[in-house]
Formats: sequence, structure tokens, C-alpha cells
Amino acid sequence: MQEFKSLKDIPEQDYFTGGSSACAGCGPSLGLKLALKVLGPETIIINSAGCMTLLPLYPNTPLKASWIHNAIENAASTAAGARHGLDVLGNGDMNVVVYAGDGATYDIGFASLSAAAAKNERIIYICYNNQSYGNTGFQWSTATPYGSETKTTPRGKENPTGNTAVNKDMLKIMGAHRVYAATASLAYPVDFLNKLGRAKERDGFSYIELLGACTAGWNYDPRLTIKISKLAVRCGMWPLYEIEHGMLNLNKDFSELKPVDEFLKMQGRYRALPPDGVERLQALINEHWAELKEYNKQRYV
Amino acid sequence: MKQTLVTGNEAAAWGARLARANYIPNFPITPQTECIETLARWSSDGELPGTFFDRMESEHSVMSAAVGAAAVGSRVFTATSSQGLLLMHEVLYIAAGMRLPIVMATISRGLSAPVTLWSDHNDFLDQRDSGWLMFHAENNQEVLDMVLQAYRIAEDPQVLLPAMVNMDGYVLSFTDEPINIPSPEQVAEFLPGYDPAHTIAKNRPVTVGPPVLDEYSIFRAQNHVASRNALAVIEELQDDFEKIFGRRYHLVDEFMLEDAELVLVTQGSMSTTAKAAILEMRDEGIKVGLLRLRVIRPWPNEAVAGALKDAKAIAVIDRNVAPGKGGIMFPEIIETLYNLDRRPLVSGFVVGLGGNPQTENKIKEITHKLEEDLAAGRPRMEWNDLEGI
Repeated sequence: MQEFKSLKDIPEQDYFTGGSSACAGCGPSLGLKLALKVLGPETIIINSAGCMTLLPLYPNTPLKASWIHNAIENAASTAAGARHGLDVLGNGDMNVVVYAGDGATYDIGFASLSAAAAKNERIIYICYNNQSYGNTGFQWSTATPYGSETKTTPRGKENPTGNTAVNKDMLKIMGAHRVYAATASLAYPVDFLNKLGRAKERDGFSYIELLGACTAGWNYDPRLTIKISKLAVRCGMWPLYEIEHGMLNLNKDFSELKPVDEFLKMQGRYRALPPDGVERLQALINEHWAELKEYNKQRYV
Repeated sequence: MKQTLVTGNEAAAWGARLARANYIPNFPITPQTECIETLARWSSDGELPGTFFDRMESEHSVMSAAVGAAAVGSRVFTATSSQGLLLMHEVLYIAAGMRLPIVMATISRGLSAPVTLWSDHNDFLDQRDSGWLMFHAENNQEVLDMVLQAYRIAEDPQVLLPAMVNMDGYVLSFTDEPINIPSPEQVAEFLPGYDPAHTIAKNRPVTVGPPVLDEYSIFRAQNHVASRNALAVIEELQDDFEKIFGRRYHLVDEFMLEDAELVLVTQGSMSTTAKAAILEMRDEGIKVGLLRLRVIRPWPNEAVAGALKDAKAIAVIDRNVAPGKGGIMFPEIIETLYNLDRRPLVSGFVVGLGGNPQTENKIKEITHKLEEDLAAGRPRMEWNDLEGI
């Protein structure tokens, strides 16, 4: 596949048209719109229950590709069935792509995902990570970052921090499955689509995790989706890297990270996070960034 | 006709093989294991061309993968038991709602807790409202025949629903019986390749399983109508089946009902034992017969009512229990008879849970109790399994 060099190379053709029911400024919908530019119409999107489930609403759909919504915890298994179902009927050239939220990926669907990865099924699994159960109104998942308020980790007198747990290191876990695993950002579409293009060529399982900025849950002005996405990368909240054959490759290196405070203050979910909470979150980010720098171009998992 | 000794598990595997299932997702659970091990061996030996045998990490994923493969037009087979069937429960409704003609052998085993490995029908009947077609075999020949018929019924354009073929764990699953295994040519004549009109295909993008607003009950109604349509399809295919295989089945299995005053209603393998007991009781002059339920969903109202309407008293023998209520099929039989001009007396007996054996003596005991009920004009609902425990 020809790698994209700049935004100008990205195809204008869309397979995600107008008329969807997603929020204005919805990061995950934009991610799918971009992804379909590379994947094309001979693609089956396997969706797990979440915000994106509402894109098609009978009898309409904004998508010019096929779509299966099964339940919340079984997108990877459904995809494995679709993959083999197609292959055995001689339709192996169709793409099978999971588009699932972080709750469906990190939590309830993890067994299904892990098995599909361990079997190296020829599937592209895109997790759109909005760091919460977004469609039910923004509740905690194991992808929720430390210090984020959610509806089930509200700040209060007893707990001023909000979420006191540290989010799961999913990239490392997926990298340890010896599959291709990468992070991606809406603010770096060329990087995202090149990763997707490489995944499409692979004869095996690929896991791409896209930070899916959520205007309603993160509580920010819908115009800022790309700006927030970019800041997440620049401050090390969402570093761009990939793991292949256990080797780490840091895609966007910076000599210095911006302070996380800049990212936090743009979003309602971090409003009123006490200074010691901000400090702890900054320390977690620094620690992860140092680890990525240390293992860059080396065996990571 | 050549007879081969096979277990119920192997008979189901033969059904899948002869039906040329394209995709077999699976996860092991006792007593289903031998069924998928048989298919695994055939797959490794290259005896299942055009079939992908897929090991999954849970039954939930098995049914999810079955949905994925059926949604792209593959013929799918799988098998499970007990807790595995319960773990699938969520996705069973989805498969039915998507109108995917998956066929699954269920090998009945009692549910936890406490743990039992032996058979009763609570796992199977727990899926009663899932929208699946539900068939229950009496013996290993019927297991194989039912799998073949299940595909033809499930894939009928008037039906398009998934189907379960149930057999009793151990009693059938691990017991050799002589059966006729038809030739691939015979089966191909009865069951052509699956040619789906509505599934995802190249150049045919389809949305499967989207949300709906006001139309929800229309889709549920369609599922119901499709299930009812299966009744006629089941009856209509028997001529073809008999012509090719020399065997014929009906919506219900009637045994010595012509002049029966007392009728036992049973399901599954205990029916064979009950039939033997009936032959002995007939020698004693007791006018007893048997109705075996083999099509559970769709419910064959007319066939059941027609078979039972002339009885004086009926014993519904349930190898299952709905705690706080009683046997599950007991009220279904009563409901079926309620609007008849003359209603027989109906007693209910819960028996054989967790594999507790149903001997001929126990069947005779139930029959004698039914005679008492008829004489007293008073039906009973009784747990018939507790003596001696």
C-alpha cells in the first residue's frame, strides 16, 4: 500500500455520509469516517453496543459499508465468525473491522478480544477510546484515566479525586499477544490512516486504539475536538506508538512534553481535580513517557 | 439398511458433516465434548472440506461467532450443554432476531448449583422464549435425522430462524445405538446448499442488528409468525424425507393413543422406557398410551390437542422444574386443552432431575397414580423423585 505523506493524499471519497445521530464534534464518528476512506465499501464493521451503535437507525444508515451489531462483549468473536464465514465462501478479500468502545474492549469484551488476538485472526480491531461508558452517559471503565470524574466516580467530600484507579495499559497487553498494536489520534490522521493501511495488508490481527474525544462526557466545546486530541498527544496523555513482534516504535517523539494541566483545564471532567491529583496524574504520565523513551526501538513486551 | 453403532454425540456430528456446515465454532463442556471432538478429528483428517472448525474461548463467543458467520451467509453448526447453553442465552435471542438459520445440538444436563453432570431438561427449556425452533430427539437416529431436517426447516424462506436439536446427556450422548447413516448423495438431495438471499455479500452491503424505534414489535411479530410457519414446513418435508431415507416424523409422536384412556406426555429418551412400560401395562389391560413432545417451539397446538382430546386423564411427566411453579410443560399442556369442549383431567409429575433414572417401574407408578386421580376426579402436581433419597 502507498503510504500517505500529507492530508492532501487522503482520499476525498466518503463511505460515511451525513445524517448520523452522533453528537456534533463526536470524535469516534470522525474516526470511523476517516477509517472507511482507507477500508472502502467492501468492509464489514462489527460494532459492540455503545455510542456508534446508534449510527444506523432502522431503516436508515449513514454508512456505505456493511455493519453487524451483535451485543457489547462479543465484537471480536463475531468478527472471527464473519472472517471465517467469508473466507470459507471465497470472499476473503472483504475487510472485517471491529469498531468498539473502550468499555467493550478493556472490560466486558476482553476475553473475546484476547482470544481473537491470540489466534491471530485476520481482523482489524479499532477501539475508539472515549475513556468511559459514553453511550450510557459517561460512567467509569478501566480505560478511564486517574483523576477523571465520571457519573460513577463523582467527586465528593469523601473522594475529591474522582477516579482513583489507574487505567489499564491496553497497548502493552495487546502487544504481548504478539500482534500489531498501535495508538492513533484524530489530530494525526495521516499517522492513523497509514497504520490502518498497514493493518489492512497484514495477514493477521491488528489492534489500533484511537483516542475518541467525547464532547458530551469530557465536557468541552464541540469545536475543540481536534485541538484536545492534539494536546493529549503533546502532553503525553496519549502518546503515539506501535508495538510489532514485541518491539516498540514511538511514532511522535517530543523533546519536552507540555504540562498536563493545559489538557485538563479544557475539560469539565477534570474541573476541581485537587492539585495533588494533578500532580499524581502528571507523575503517571511522566513515568509512562520515560518508559516509552527507554524502550523505543527495543523489545518492549 | 446398513446400521452403524454411534453415540448421540457422534450422530449429531454426522448430521453436521452430512449437512455440509461451513463453520463450526465450539467450546467444550460435558457431556457435549465428544460431539466436537469427533468434528475436530474429521477436520484434522481433511474429512470436512469447505468447513472451518473454530475453537473459541467461551460459549458466549461460540454463539457470537456463529452469528458473525451466519450473517455473511455460512451454514453454521455448533453444540453445547447446560451452563454453556445458559452462557449463550443473551446471543440466542440476537441470532433469532437477526433471523439466522444456525443449527445447534444441545446435550441436556442439569444446571448448577449444586453441580450435576447428568441430564434433565432445564437447560434446554430455559431457551423456550428465545425465538429459536426447538426440537427434542428420543434416540440417536432421530438426533441425526433432526439435524438434517433442522437445517431444511431453519433455512426455509418462510422461516429463517435458528434451530436447537436436543438430546439427553449420557443416556443418548454417550450411548451407542445402531443407526442408519445416510450417504452424502442422499443428504444433498434432501438438503441443497445454503443460498441466502438477505445476508451480507460482496457488492451487497447490509446492516445487521441496528436499533429500531416504533418498529420493534413488528420485528418481534415477524419472529413469531416465522416460527408458526415452521409447523407447515415440518409436515411438508416429511414426504421428501421418507422418499429418500425411508423414515418419517410427525409434529408429535403418538404411541398407542387410538383407544387410550390414560395418556403419558413425555419428552426425550425417557419416552423409550415409557413405551416399554406401556406395552407391559397394556398386557395387564390398562388402556394407556403416550404422547411424546418432539417439536417444542413452535408449539404444535393442534397436533397436541388432537392427540389428547379423547383421553380421560393425562400425566405430564416433566424432566425439569420451575421452582415455585412445577413442571414447565405441565401448564403448556393444560393451556392447549383448555378450550376443548371436553377437557381431560391433567396431573403433573416432576421426575428425573439430575439424571435420576426413569425406570419402567416409575412410569407404571405414575400411571397408577393417574388412575387414582381419575377415580377421585382430582388432579395432582407432584414431585415423583424423592422416595428413597
